[in-house]
Amino acid sequence: MPPRASQPAGSNGKPVKKAKASTKSKATTVKLDAAPSNSQRINPLTAFANTPPSSGKNGIPKASQQSQKSKGKEKEIFKSLVTDAEDDRLWVDIYEPTTEAELAVHVKKVQDVRRWLDEALVGGPSGKLRKYRRILALTGPAGTAKTATMRVLARELDCEILEWRNAMGESSSNPFEDDCRPDGSSYHQSYDSDQESLFSKFEAFLTRASTCQTIFADTERDTRLSSSQSSSSTHPTTRKQQIILLEDLPNILHANTQSRFHAALQGLVTSPSLNPVPIVVIVSDAGVRGEASDERLASGSWGKDRDGVLDIRTVLSKDLLHGPYVTQIGFNPIAPTLMKKALQALVSTHFSSSRAKGSAPSKEILDIIIETSNGDIRSAIMALQFSCVVEMPGSKARKMSSGSSTKQVLEAVTRREQSLHLFHLIGRVLYNKRKGDPPNPSATAKDIQRDKDLDATLKDPPKLPSYLSSHARRRSRVNVDLLYADSPIDSSLFSLYIHQNYSQFCNEVEECEGVADWLSWVDSSGGESWYQANPHRFHLLTMGTLHSLPTPVPRRSQKLFKPEFFDYLTKEKDAWDAVRDVRGWIIEDATSKEKEGWRLGGWSRAEVVTGLGGVLKARDVKQMQPQAPMSHRLFSSLTFVSGGESRGLRQLSEGDLPSDNVDLPGDDGCPRGGWSDIPDEQEGGGWLESDDIEDF
Amino acid sequence: MSLWVDKFRPRALDDLHYHEGLSARLKSLAASGDFPHMLFYGPSGAGKKTRITCTLRQLFGPGVEKLKIDQRVFLSPSKRKIEVNIVQSNFHLEITPSEAGNYDRVVIQELLKEIAQTQQVDLNAKQRFKGAAIHSPLERFCECIVDWTVVIINEADSLSRDAQAALRRTMEKYMSNMRIILCANSTSRLIAPIKSRCLLMRVAAPSDDEMQTVLTYVARRAYFDLPPEAAQEIIKDSGGNLRKAILVLEALKMQSPDLSGPLTIAKPDWETYCQKVAVLIVTEQTPARVMEIRTKFYELLSHCIPPTVILKTIAEAVVSQVDETLKAEIMHWAAFYEVRMRIGSKKIYHLEAWVVKVMSLYKQSFYQFDISEFS
Repeated sequence: MPPRASQPAGSNGKPVKKAKASTKSKATTVKLDAAPSNSQRINPLTAFANTPPSSGKNGIPKASQQSQKSKGKEKEIFKSLVTDAEDDRLWVDIYEPTTEAELAVHVKKVQDVRRWLDEALVGGPSGKLRKYRRILALTGPAGTAKTATMRVLARELDCEILEWRNAMGESSSNPFEDDCRPDGSSYHQSYDSDQESLFSKFEAFLTRASTCQTIFADTERDTRLSSSQSSSSTHPTTRKQQIILLEDLPNILHANTQSRFHAALQGLVTSPSLNPVPIVVIVSDAGVRGEASDERLASGSWGKDRDGVLDIRTVLSKDLLHGPYVTQIGFNPIAPTLMKKALQALVSTHFSSSRAKGSAPSKEILDIIIETSNGDIRSAIMALQFSCVVEMPGSKARKMSSGSSTKQVLEAVTRREQSLHLFHLIGRVLYNKRKGDPPNPSATAKDIQRDKDLDATLKDPPKLPSYLSSHARRRSRVNVDLLYADSPIDSSLFSLYIHQNYSQFCNEVEECEGVADWLSWVDSSGGESWYQANPHRFHLLTMGTLHSLPTPVPRRSQKLFKPEFFDYLTKEKDAWDAVRDVRGWIIEDATSKEKEGWRLGGWSRAEVVTGLGGVLKARDVKQMQPQAPMSHRLFSSLTFVSGGESRGLRQLSEGDLPSDNVDLPGDDGCPRGGWSDIPDEQEGGGWLESDDIEDF
Repeated sequence: MSLWVDKFRPRALDDLHYHEGLSARLKSLAASGDFPHMLFYGPSGAGKKTRITCTLRQLFGPGVEKLKIDQRVFLSPSKRKIEVNIVQSNFHLEITPSEAGNYDRVVIQELLKEIAQTQQVDLNAKQRFKGAAIHSPLERFCECIVDWTVVIINEADSLSRDAQAALRRTMEKYMSNMRIILCANSTSRLIAPIKSRCLLMRVAAPSDDEMQTVLTYVARRAYFDLPPEAAQEIIKDSGGNLRKAILVLEALKMQSPDLSGPLTIAKPDWETYCQKVAVLIVTEQTPARVMEIRTKFYELLSHCIPPTVILKTIAEAVVSQVDETLKAEIMHWAAFYEVRMRIGSKKIYHLEAWVVKVMSLYKQSFYQFDISEFS
């Protein structure tokens, strides 16, 4: 859809419009007043820096007013404006939800957000929660209506959203902007502000956005309080509450900026403010791909810079994230039923209006769109619009039986880089489905059909000679390359998941043997140094596992668990601390007293662990003085519990993101270069800072 | 707090109870006032460190026992801080580079270069040394000629290859003002160039009789009599590890002060645990059992028991319970997976792979046996 020349630039769909808004910001200094809607985007820098001219709306050039209007999300206003002109904006913008009912988000999520906002703005039922409702972090995959929910709720709660945008286009090198400024005085001001770095602007935005509001609201509150208690109920605040929305963040991946950003937020949150402005941070999940860490290893970069991924942990500092001021609400991909409802509503509104051209898309197309969108409603609406604009190959000519070709086209259009859910990834490997497997009893007809289609595309492998017959398998339905491309985790974590779960899927020890050997081989393959790690580990492990597992895998309601590995690592770390304590206790004065034996090299850690158990136990029993540090039990006392009940196994569920549970403590980065008796790459020698092992 | 092991440790070469030949050699070496780089190797608990200490004392006199502990911070290439404890006297300095994990190369390089390039100019130290009562002419002799520092590197066999390569160069270059004493369990993990640059000193494990002598000596020093049966019991349990034997003796003495009657030697928990895991392996061979054993392994590992030790202990326990024909196989695979474990990063995989292998071997042999009996 190329923009028509006659159309004002502002109505060319969202992105362009935004850019325009920010470049034009100097001309539109009075947005606060002029805005028809309360959820508009403003440039607070200029908005606050320049006092609005008294002329108000009249001061605005006509064109910009038009663009102002078109920014509003209220359909009614919009429709009345543009009904006659053909609207070539995206449907995503036109039909942005305006009420809670229109949101395709699960009701509970919306409630969560609403409650938070309520608590943040008013303080909840007790009125005391306000202090702790400073930052709300909305996370979730792209296109799950995070921003839309925020806007709708802001509208319903009648508050104003102050949004930060990284205005890259706003530079002093734009003479036209300067020319059309109404007064010359603010020219310098803005010129100065252009000299600041982008981040300083951001800081200024944060402080201004929070403090300016504070002043007004405070005075208001004071008057209210001083007048009488009853008046507050009868006469609610005339000025709107405000919310700071941070979606377009400064470049957090730059370490320096990140620390400044953290500091800014921290400062804002801890500052004692009577009437704080809640901050909403929206972060879309960006999945880590399977190869990420492998490639990093191959390219030889040091250690684990997970900073490469923008997630909630990089956006908010650890203290903040675990502190009382931050609430995190995760959005899930939009459920097909909800999406269907939303899309249907959209289609019916669209085609009932006079603007509609062509015919409504068929139900099949709608279904395909929903299926291919993977819960991303933005991409679904895009696809829907596309399907109405473009003549689908099968939409009219061959009404039925065209499912697959339509699907292909749509898939090509809507398919976005998406990662498989961890749960599905592990399941796909461990269930080891092969061509011709009997369908699952719970499978729907559609699933069965899909399996059949898939089987039809798979060729049978050539027959193996008799001496290799033990390796004969039917063709696997798993496409390893695709799996690798879609994997949300790197191969090391993947191997941990396989390791934790494979044994349930085996019937006999012989099958376990295959998987275990592959795990072992893959872990040690390559060279002795970490940078020689095998780049094909993911493939090898997947194929090895598929080859070794029985086929078909018996269904006995296996449960997938998260790896215990990380619990063990934390425990081990504590135990090593205990070892150090005991070691210190032993050699405490050995070096100072000369007649006590000087023991060369002290006690090595391995010696303490393996040798001292008996003595320590005996001392404990007899309560000998001086007493050994009690922590020694962490490594010296081991009681054998028969039965395989392992405590604290956490089940992996469908919604789990890989980032929820674990971060690899860099074990990929540092397998031992040589030989060691002690597994000390994870702990001990004081060279591993605690923050390397992030919260599991 | 001193354990008996530390308290009653021989301090001079003359006090050592066994390996007289070695002691004589070391003494004559010390008498010459100079020595080459040395590598002490032998099983743990054989007395390597004791012998190194005695040699140093012979060489430098009691001044070598005035120690201070320094904590040094090194920077890795990725600007990570590595803290290493260094014990040093005026004459020597000892480090355990394996404390630095992967970055042992940095530590070795930085530290040795620094020592080597600093000549012994600490006149003060010499003054102090002079002021102290000097007993033997030998000590006076040493004081005049010794202008090098001894560096003792503990756990040299856990040095990475990088570190060993770095060491090799340093050994050649700074021979004039530094002597290196390496202490290792086995020479097999050291690269050949290092071995060839060192005078090799093998410290073998003591024989049973020698251990008996030492235990009796320790008992006498601790003012009690050790019944020979108890000593035999302890020796049998310790498997040539004198340190372990003395620790057990101390524990036993604490538990039952009279040391008479039947003794139950208190093994460390992890050993009993490993025995039980071995039983688990032999009694059932199913995927469920694999999972159960995995939790046990995690438990052992989280108690910091070195995985190599786990593998070795369990393998020995399993071998003692299986048929003769399987023993070689099981040990073969233990060795096989031990190598992988050293190279790989996640020890649990290799431990488990070995267990599963043993299980399937055992199961197969068991079924074959059954069938043959049946027919």
